[in-house]
Amino acid sequence: MSPIIVIATLLAIVLVALVILVLINRGEARFTFDIGGQAPRASGGADNSSEKGFKTRLTGLSIFSGGILAVLFAKLWSMQLVSVDEYTEQAELNRTRTISTVAPRGRILDRNGVELVTNRPSLVVMASSEVVDDEVTVQHLANVLGMPAVAVRRKIQDQTEGAQSLRTVAVDVSRRVVSYIDEHQYLFDGIHVEERAQRHYPMGSTCAHVLGYTGSPTVEQLKAAEEDTSNWSIAYESGDTIGQAGIEYQYESVLQGVRGEQKVYVDADGNVLDYATSIEAQPGSDIVLTIDSKVQKAAEESLASIIKKIRDKGNSSCDSGSAVCIDVTNGEVIAMASYPTFSPNDFVGGISNDDWEMLSSEEAGNPLMNRAIAGQYPSASTIKPISTFAALNYGIANTKSGYDCTGYWTGFGSQYGQYCWNHDGHGYVNLREGIVYSCDTVFYEIGKGFFLSDNKEGLQETYRRWGLGESCGIDLPAESIGRVPDAEWKWSYFTQADEYARTWQGGDTTNLVIGQGDLLVTPLQMASVYAGIATKGTVHRPHLLRSVSSHAGSGSVMDFKSEVIRKVEEPDDSFEFVQDALKGVIYEESEAQASHFTNMKELVAGKTGTAERTNEEPTGWFVAYVPADNPKYVIASCVERGGYGNECAIYVVRDIMGAIYDEPDTSDAVDTSGVR
Amino acid sequence: MFSRGSGMEGIGEKAHTTFSRGAGSAKGARMSSVGITQVVFLPQIVPTLMLIAFGTLIIWSASLTIPEASFVRHVVGIVLGLMIAVFIWRYDYRTLANLSTALLVFDALLMLMPRIPGLGYFAMGMTGWVRIPIIGFRFQPSEPAKLVTILLMASLGAQYNGRIESLRDYLKLCGILTIPFLLILTQPDLGTGLIVLVAGASIIICAGAPRSWVLVTIGIVVLGATLVVVTSMTPGLPHVLKQYQLNRLIVFVDPSVDPTGDGYNLTQAKIAVGSGGLLGKGIGNATQSGSGFLPEAHTDFVFALMAEEFGFLGSTVLLGLFGWMLFSTISLAQRVDSPFAKLILVGIVTMWSFQLMQNVGMCIGLMPITGIPLPFVSFGSSSMVAQLMSVGMVQSIWRHRPKAA
Repeated sequence: MSPIIVIATLLAIVLVALVILVLINRGEARFTFDIGGQAPRASGGADNSSEKGFKTRLTGLSIFSGGILAVLFAKLWSMQLVSVDEYTEQAELNRTRTISTVAPRGRILDRNGVELVTNRPSLVVMASSEVVDDEVTVQHLANVLGMPAVAVRRKIQDQTEGAQSLRTVAVDVSRRVVSYIDEHQYLFDGIHVEERAQRHYPMGSTCAHVLGYTGSPTVEQLKAAEEDTSNWSIAYESGDTIGQAGIEYQYESVLQGVRGEQKVYVDADGNVLDYATSIEAQPGSDIVLTIDSKVQKAAEESLASIIKKIRDKGNSSCDSGSAVCIDVTNGEVIAMASYPTFSPNDFVGGISNDDWEMLSSEEAGNPLMNRAIAGQYPSASTIKPISTFAALNYGIANTKSGYDCTGYWTGFGSQYGQYCWNHDGHGYVNLREGIVYSCDTVFYEIGKGFFLSDNKEGLQETYRRWGLGESCGIDLPAESIGRVPDAEWKWSYFTQADEYARTWQGGDTTNLVIGQGDLLVTPLQMASVYAGIATKGTVHRPHLLRSVSSHAGSGSVMDFKSEVIRKVEEPDDSFEFVQDALKGVIYEESEAQASHFTNMKELVAGKTGTAERTNEEPTGWFVAYVPADNPKYVIASCVERGGYGNECAIYVVRDIMGAIYDEPDTSDAVDTSGVR
Repeated sequence: MFSRGSGMEGIGEKAHTTFSRGAGSAKGARMSSVGITQVVFLPQIVPTLMLIAFGTLIIWSASLTIPEASFVRHVVGIVLGLMIAVFIWRYDYRTLANLSTALLVFDALLMLMPRIPGLGYFAMGMTGWVRIPIIGFRFQPSEPAKLVTILLMASLGAQYNGRIESLRDYLKLCGILTIPFLLILTQPDLGTGLIVLVAGASIIICAGAPRSWVLVTIGIVVLGATLVVVTSMTPGLPHVLKQYQLNRLIVFVDPSVDPTGDGYNLTQAKIAVGSGGLLGKGIGNATQSGSGFLPEAHTDFVFALMAEEFGFLGSTVLLGLFGWMLFSTISLAQRVDSPFAKLILVGIVTMWSFQLMQNVGMCIGLMPITGIPLPFVSFGSSSMVAQLMSVGMVQSIWRHRPKAA
């Protein structure tokens, strides 16, 4: 605004005044009549000349008044008749506000309909936006809620829930605080208490790693949602609950409801006067998982108690482990456990910084990590069946092959000697016995055979064919893919080492063939591999989603269609040979070991494994499928630094079987052979 | 200072024959049956009463949503105003022609009343109010002061019989006008001051001031006003205008400058008027004024309220009634002979026209925002009483016109 405009405005007024004046005076000039010298004071109207003068001046006044009326009329015409739509729209914008209403998030159920995640009512303290200017109320509220005043103010200033909505200050407020606020309403002008649905995990930490947890959307997620222009994109607001891990994250778009919209009429202060149209909030859909909460619980309890038992025996380095149980006929994950665990309830309504640091710290053993899909370990002897397939395929061995185990193998020369786990030696063993007794010497020979053959990497090719080194494609985030080492990998991985150390050696192959060294697999991968052995090659994509059903209860909306991700081609008699050997592991390897499985009706086939690492307790593996004659379930377990596979993991697997078939393990026999 | 005007009665005697020449025959014939037209100037009173009735309806509808708009108080104001108007109507205005000094003193007294300790009433940022002790009656003396100033200027201007010959007389008239103007500015009430200035100037011009003098005067006034505005906007120089007054000028040019204060008011008023459309939203359905978006919807922005509820149709009726009333009054001014009566009517017509322009103009963005009420419509007893006093004055001029014997 410059003074020039003001001057221009005033000049315009002057111009109008001049026009009027000219109009008045023009008439007067025409009728000038000199009455001579002194004008009579108040001499009345008898004088013709003044009468004429008044007449023209009054005409001028008429023009003045008429002009005003005409200008006003013209402007009103343009505003009320021509631009009426534009002004009406503005008036409508003024008085209507759209408030979004929260949609309840879908529940997560197990395969039998048991609630794993649901919603519970929670008391929420809200504040209207103007409270932010009221220092006293903000401070008072902060004191009552036990929050810093700065945090309260920041929450009130958050506009993402819509300009007119009340702002969420605190959730899960205690009844005591709420009644204090209610009783002292005069102190809390603009503060409201509301009941709202909050995420609830009724079984506590059970299934935590599968379910994941929720939180407020991060800045990145808000941005991503904004940029996502597809039909199914969800418009998040920062107070929303959004899945941050596990199923909560994976099926966010299913679980998340669609916010409703309530159009309201408001006055100038934003008070709601009336309700107009509304779009009902659509609750998120319920998800039914393939998980059986009974088996899941047994798996978690077994894992925890066995780790505790091992620690009680003095092995304090054993602190974590995992187990996974999959239906081999369709890939449904019946149970998936990881230890240590956490409670997703901690994340409801925002996790405190301290809790978060504790949960994500290395010392706590990464409780948030789902070791069943993200833990990577050498497979150890559990790989031997696959090595057998490789040997049979590439003609390195046949089912009749025999080997002499002295306990110390020097196939690459005495300077490269390697021990069988059984330092006393297994004596003469055939290929089947090599699997049953997990004889390393047998597989050293096979490894040597590969190393010296034309198919140096036949092992790796076979492992990959079985799905190692790649994702299983489970419907969970953060799955690890493991690693199948080969010459090329070794060369590029150890860039600092000298040429000899980087080059693939025979020892690498003999390590690989017994699943030690640089091979890395996840428990889920091993479960998938054994599912393939059980089904003679048909591997389904492991999955957790069984069906999605709308919250309204209109029944199942969508069933998950199981999908074969791999059809591993091996000769039928190879399959039968390996399956038979795996049964042998259970029932022949040792009496103590067998005693844990002879007490159940179903036949079991499986393999132990013990991943060695220098200066560390070995990590124990056990992978098995049941019933061996008509496979239904494959179960894999891995206990980090838990000792030999038949000291730890095997019990976890057995407990899971016990939960499935309601046949608890009654044997307390302990195998002391030290089989790997 | 002022010589008492010589014989108003005499003028009346002379005038009476002149007047009756035009209307006598028709009027005389129907004297007994239409006696009321002899004493009441119907063409002016009818549209005025219709305007008041319309205004009452508007205030009633405002009272539905605005607690401050007391319908009872509005009606009380009208009744009080009508009573005073009847008194003035019966009073022979001509005696005022010789009371210039008394009028000036009375005028000054009215303007200074809010400054008198014990009388001045200050509350909620209001200025220019007087509260009569014991009774507790509050009013704005500047409202009746407008009429008193008109009477004062008319009584002075009438002395020159339509032709001001001497520059001294002209300057004297202008000088006298600045007295009530400056006194009003002290209240401070620039809006009322402008009305007084314009009405007074209109009287001086119609009293026969030569064109060149008037032009020079207007030039000086505009220059002075510009100087005042410019110095007020320049840091370091004396600020004659208050910041809020400057803001009103600024937002008049660009309402977005002050979206929460006056700019907001202007924007909301325009939305109210525009969204009224052809037929309006109906009584009680005005969302702009009813839900508090439009401030002062019953006083300063009452036109916007009316335009929102009754639409273009209502606006036309309102402007039509004003037009009817104004042109009737002008026609009366043309018909009466006495220059004093003519000048009073000129002043009153100018006052009404200017207030109409100011008030409606600010609602539709044609004029800067000032706190000037819409005559006969805005809520507020002081304004209502003062305007009805003016009506009484017009009627008194009709009643005391020279009649046929």
